[in-house]
Amino acid sequence: MTAVTSVLRGLRSLLVGMGITGREFVRPAVTLQYPHQRPDVSGWGGPIELVTFPETGTHDCIACNACARICPSDCFKIEGKRPEGARKMRATKFLIDFSTCSLCGLCIDVCPTDTLQYSKRYDEAAYRRVQTVNDLLTPFGEDPYLTGKLK
Amino acid sequence: MSALTHLLAGLVGDTVARIVLGVVFIMGFLTFNVLFLIWLERKVAGHIQRRLGPMEVGPHGTLQTVADMLKLLSKELFTPVAADRFTYLLAPILVFMPTLCVASLIPVGDAPAFAEMPYGLILITALSGLTVISIFMAGWSSNNKYAVLGGLRSVAQVVAYEIPVLLAALSVVLIAQTLDLQQLGDTHNWLHLFGLPMPYVVAEPVAAVIFFIGITAETNRAPFDIPEAESELVGGFHTEYSGMRFAMFFFAEYTNMLVLGALGATLFLGAWRGPLLPGWLWIILKAYAVILLMMWARWTFPRLRFDQLMSFAWKLLIPLALANLVVTALVVGLAA
Repeated sequence: MTAVTSVLRGLRSLLVGMGITGREFVRPAVTLQYPHQRPDVSGWGGPIELVTFPETGTHDCIACNACARICPSDCFKIEGKRPEGARKMRATKFLIDFSTCSLCGLCIDVCPTDTLQYSKRYDEAAYRRVQTVNDLLTPFGEDPYLTGKLK
Repeated sequence: MSALTHLLAGLVGDTVARIVLGVVFIMGFLTFNVLFLIWLERKVAGHIQRRLGPMEVGPHGTLQTVADMLKLLSKELFTPVAADRFTYLLAPILVFMPTLCVASLIPVGDAPAFAEMPYGLILITALSGLTVISIFMAGWSSNNKYAVLGGLRSVAQVVAYEIPVLLAALSVVLIAQTLDLQQLGDTHNWLHLFGLPMPYVVAEPVAAVIFFIGITAETNRAPFDIPEAESELVGGFHTEYSGMRFAMFFFAEYTNMLVLGALGATLFLGAWRGPLLPGWLWIILKAYAVILLMMWARWTFPRLRFDQLMSFAWKLLIPLALANLVVTALVVGLAA
């Protein structure tokens, strides 16, 4: 008798299992087709970038090196120049090595002009080490303060 | 098709033309079937695990298996130094032959099958038992302990599971009173409910379940895939095979699935009979339905341990199939 009931119970468990996989089979897949579909990155803090302020149309980095000093991984190399007759410096070179950056965000907190922020980038893989070092000033082009367009 | 036969018959004679065209047609369909089934398997596996499966090559990954086949074709054919060379090379060729013969025996409509046989069912069961010999040849000749273990397991398993498959098929034969696959599709032998002919699965549900379990085991598919249990035997009997030789075993496995699925459809699901659609399409659809069920089971159940597998066959399936056969014989005898 126990043999018969155990066989029946086993058969029932098989059907229950088939039912579970059958249910999952008809539910929609959760795969993200990565290069074709992009994930929602609204909550993600990627490698840092310079903020573009709408009033001036450019960043506000004064090359104070506060970020370079607080950085635990020593990612930064910043050079600056004082425009003629101005009080504040302007950055002329803002190199950051993303291969050592740990996205801790201390530089963002310490920045006196709030011109650093997390970017939304997440696919920063590169083939060569030198490609991980980027000048964050490159997208800004000519500096309007240094060329005298803005005072 | 018949115009082509006539054209060819003028050149080489009628019988040769029929054989050549039949072989070309069956081989062509089986090749397409394997490419399709591997794609389908990966799709089913994906969707059961809520993935998408192959998506990149062709629309919804339909050409993925073509790409895989090209990759396998270009791979090195590796032969182990200590292998029994002749047997090692022969096994992947032989493994495919019995299935091909069986495929030509299954009727796909009112017209006679490509190889018409009055005792077709006996020939099919005899031939499908041959596949295991080439699997054992592959395992033995590889000179690899995992391959030998896989081959040995395969033999033990097929010997055990062929008996319930045969007994299940025999109970249908008792009702139909024929071994001719063509006559299994004759509706006047079927059970009639409310004036409608019912396929044999209605009269023989237990035999149908036993048959399904048996063919799953005979095709070495999960949960009965212990001859190639990846987690314990590397690749089982095909551990040492590479490239197209490995692909031949794959080819044989999926062709075997189709052939045994079609045999199950012929025995239990009413052969090629069905409304609206032509007969050849019905038998293919029914065979694919059986295969889909096998795939569904594969992605649901864990693999059996070897002793569980053996005791399941000898202690449960065979007595059950025998009891079912005896009851069928009594009912048929009393009704006659």
